[in-house]
Amino acid sequence: MSAITTSRVKSALPWMVLAALAIAPSAGLTANIVRLLFVTLVWVTTSLAWNLLGGFAGQVSFGFAVFYGIGAYTAAKMIDAGIHPLPSFLAAGAMAAGSSLLVGVPTFRLRGPYFAIATIGVSEAVRVIADNLSITGGASGFRIVEHRPFRQLEHYYTALGLAALAVMVSVVIEHSKFGLGLVAIRHDEEAAADVGINPFAYKLWAHAVAAALTGMAGGVYARYAAFIHPHGVFSFQTSVYILLMPVIGGIGTVMGAVLGGVIFGIVEEQLVANFPNVHLLLYGGLLILIILVEPDGLVGLAGRLWRRITRHHGATDVAGPRPDEILRGTGGA
Amino acid sequence: MLQVHGLTKYFGGLAALKDVSFEVPENHIYGFIGPNGAGKTTLFSAIAGAIQPSAGRIQSRGKDVTGMRPFSLVRSGVVRTHQVVRPFRTMSVLQNVQVAAHFGRRAITRTSAARDYAMDILKWVGLEPVVHVPASALPLGDQKRLEVARALATDPELLLCDEICGGLTATETRNMLDLLRRIRQRGTTIMYVEHDMKAVMAVCDHIVVLNFGQKLAEGKPEEIQNNQEVVEAYLGKATLGGLSRG
Repeated sequence: MSAITTSRVKSALPWMVLAALAIAPSAGLTANIVRLLFVTLVWVTTSLAWNLLGGFAGQVSFGFAVFYGIGAYTAAKMIDAGIHPLPSFLAAGAMAAGSSLLVGVPTFRLRGPYFAIATIGVSEAVRVIADNLSITGGASGFRIVEHRPFRQLEHYYTALGLAALAVMVSVVIEHSKFGLGLVAIRHDEEAAADVGINPFAYKLWAHAVAAALTGMAGGVYARYAAFIHPHGVFSFQTSVYILLMPVIGGIGTVMGAVLGGVIFGIVEEQLVANFPNVHLLLYGGLLILIILVEPDGLVGLAGRLWRRITRHHGATDVAGPRPDEILRGTGGA
Repeated sequence: MLQVHGLTKYFGGLAALKDVSFEVPENHIYGFIGPNGAGKTTLFSAIAGAIQPSAGRIQSRGKDVTGMRPFSLVRSGVVRTHQVVRPFRTMSVLQNVQVAAHFGRRAITRTSAARDYAMDILKWVGLEPVVHVPASALPLGDQKRLEVARALATDPELLLCDEICGGLTATETRNMLDLLRRIRQRGTTIMYVEHDMKAVMAVCDHIVVLNFGQKLAEGKPEEIQNNQEVVEAYLGKATLGGLSRG
């Protein structure tokens, strides 16, 4: 198989996954499975969003719960006030993108692990504040009353549409000047600046697009859940989930982000149900294992197997430092 | 093309550059030499915007560019290469240069157009056979060439080359110097730092000598070679004095 057809197949894979999910409900699935797939689609969206900043631009953020939570609350409040869900989701994205600037302007002055640590701080600070504001309902949470009939498939296809939007945005960015600029920044910020890229502005843009998608995902989730509270949507756990998915699937690739989201969405509840006390430990262990054994995630593993089968030793088209380098902040040094 | 007035840079209490002034006329190759720690790389970093000077003024074509950030300087036509090569390692040679075509003065938006332009540059510098190889897989000589190609793709008016021949074989050095001359022929002004005296003397129209952060001398290559102060800066006065005294 030539390199061109291989890359065609690769770029078609995310769409094939979404197409499978689009026809899945007509296969007579139970409402509970449809709910599980709905949640999976929400996770796929956030995974793709995180990958724009963390994968393409190499900025590892532990703070995406901020945008997920702000999006969730924005949509929740608007839908509760009787506004149509669609403008509510758009507003959720806009609010999240706006707040991404507030987070990004100070934190993007930091590099590598220092940036990551700062985002943990921001994320926790926002959660504590949200916990103590009356508008969020505080620790007792917020119940959304929507004066429309509940139709599960409507929710499901909204999530599917959003995930498709995230794939489209990712693919367009990946093959654009913008995307190439982000990858250059991931390799070496100084060298990127020396060829005319403004790293600070580019990171802010990538952050804003990622935040908008994450905020909309939060909004779509909130509408379905009909009940949100700061300990859920703003939790550090949410931030870790959003980071973990692209790492599982393969950081810096669209397919990896989709795959990671799908697998995580399907197994996450089982893990929580079966190992209620140690599931976070499992994620931590998994993260370490992936970074040590297969830093390019499942996509990297598949690629390696594929090359072994076909004995294809051409130049790799994965453009970036290895994810362990990104996570350690040593990429391009 | 470029005017530098009283450029000074302190790192803590240490003056890496002290009141350095000179002017680089259009379409010349200006060499900058001096012993280790003389301030050559600091000078380049200050001009290219990587560090902020403590005092002094830098003008490019009459426009004040002092303290401008590197990415804005690129758009003003001032671009540097690094002494230690900094390619985008796992990107292909072509992609490396394509990035510069996108974000340099030409600001090409379409990826196919940027790729074509990058391809032309790579042919021009002789890296055509390796365009699809990841940059990190290139031997040092080609990586140095890529560093120059990437800077060229930003369409510079003034190119600052920091030790582009360091670590190269004699043949590679000759080819690199040829490349510098061809770049000048395109109408690009060059500032060139190198430790290899033979290389500097062979290619430069004019040489500025730095020592302990100050300008020691400047002039044509032959003038510099016969300058007593320059010889002393390199070999040391004490050594000569000690020898003569026995």
